[in-house]
Amino acid sequence: MQPVAESIRVAAIFTPGTQIKPVWFEWRCRKHAIAATSYFWKDSLGAATRLHFAVSDGSNLFELMFDTSDQSWTLVGVEAQ
Amino acid sequence: MEQNRIILHIDMNAFFASVEQQSNPALSGKPVAVIGAAKRTIITTCSYEARAFGVKTGMNSWEARQKCPQLIFVVGNNRKYSYTSKQIIAIMRQYTPQVEVFSIDEAFLDVTASLSLFGSAEKIAHLIKLQIRERFGLTCSVGIAPNKLLAKLASDMQKPDGLTIIEPEKVAQVMERLPIQALCGIGAKMQQHLTKFGIKTCGELGRFPVETLRKHFGVTGERLHFMGLGVDDSPVVPEDEAEEVKSVGHSTTLDRDITDRSEILLQLLQLSEMVGRRARKYQVTGRTVTLTVRYADFTTFSKQQSRGDYTNNSEEIYRAAVKILDTLDLTQPVRLLGVKITNLRHHTEQLPLFAEERKKALVASAMDDVNNKFGDFAVTFGSLIGKEKGAKVISPAWRPEGVRNVDAD
Repeated sequence: MQPVAESIRVAAIFTPGTQIKPVWFEWRCRKHAIAATSYFWKDSLGAATRLHFAVSDGSNLFELMFDTSDQSWTLVGVEAQ
Repeated sequence: MEQNRIILHIDMNAFFASVEQQSNPALSGKPVAVIGAAKRTIITTCSYEARAFGVKTGMNSWEARQKCPQLIFVVGNNRKYSYTSKQIIAIMRQYTPQVEVFSIDEAFLDVTASLSLFGSAEKIAHLIKLQIRERFGLTCSVGIAPNKLLAKLASDMQKPDGLTIIEPEKVAQVMERLPIQALCGIGAKMQQHLTKFGIKTCGELGRFPVETLRKHFGVTGERLHFMGLGVDDSPVVPEDEAEEVKSVGHSTTLDRDITDRSEILLQLLQLSEMVGRRARKYQVTGRTVTLTVRYADFTTFSKQQSRGDYTNNSEEIYRAAVKILDTLDLTQPVRLLGVKITNLRHHTEQLPLFAEERKKALVASAMDDVNNKFGDFAVTFGSLIGKEKGAKVISPAWRPEGVRNVDAD
């Protein structure tokens, strides 16, 4: 996976409880609809909990990260298939 | 020891590689090898598709590529594996509190007391397998047996995604022709020793006069005798009941062999800070500092020095490590360095008597507070600023919880 580390705009559904489902994101002036989330994991950086999503737009794989401390989304990496 | 125990050994199949295949469906069904991001790295785990070509854990990438030219290398993600492991352990704990985490991808479960709740050990195994598959898409092999030794043996018998039961009445039959090296704890060296006595199978080991084994191997001789018979009384020990940890240490294989003393010192400072930070987190102090050095030709040695008092201060650990280094005549370039504190005292935090010591403790505590809030090495020694860290993949033997997750090289 190629590292990216760019702040991005993400549309996500926050369901009751703790589940978050990213639906689409914008990166480099292009909107990517998320076709599937293939993996999810959590980690922390200091006191901040971060949620990671491995998502696909149907052709490429992306890693999105939601930082719960400041509610920000980052595109962590891209893997062109 | 309670009789008629029922132990499960759950072993995740090609754990790191399977997680990567789940994360990236394009890797599914393909030969995948998980490696570290550092320049010098070896294969930590590979998928079953890669194993079919002869790729093995521990191979360097060049060797692996020779065996399987189409091998796909994936840089491992420790945090992803650690999170998944913790979630899987949580699934296991739904069935019994008696869970001993053996490594990041293996655990023993004593389900003796849970059988009346869930029906049978086989049912528990199926439920756990199902939950792990549904939640993560991962498979595991399960061994069910009357003790840990046999449960581990059983889980190895059918991989991947197997379930093997060794019934108590079948133990002798199973052990009779089983090669001794199949037993956990009998390595290549021990195998060589035993072969000299003409012992090749567990059946032969069990029948061999225990006095002779005891004479040659001491206490281990008796254990070997019982291993040959498939007898193992060791209990399943959950983390909170485990004995207090005996050491806190970190080691690292360097990106390249180094001879320059200033580079060695930087590595030692970083390792000492990692050791000190974890020791402070778990409120332990140590009186003995050990320095481990591995040369380019893989010869490894450790040297230790005891201090007058106990410490978990990174700088003091570093100074003790440097003192040991000064006594060494480094004959070759260095490949690996390790720092460890032993002779531990637990939960004995008290305010240091002298002002200088109090100042040091307060500085360390303030640094820990900042690092706890903003992440490891957010505040550190000036000479370590900009130094890369965390580029390596954790060993599968690493444990995801508690002070025991030591030596994650």
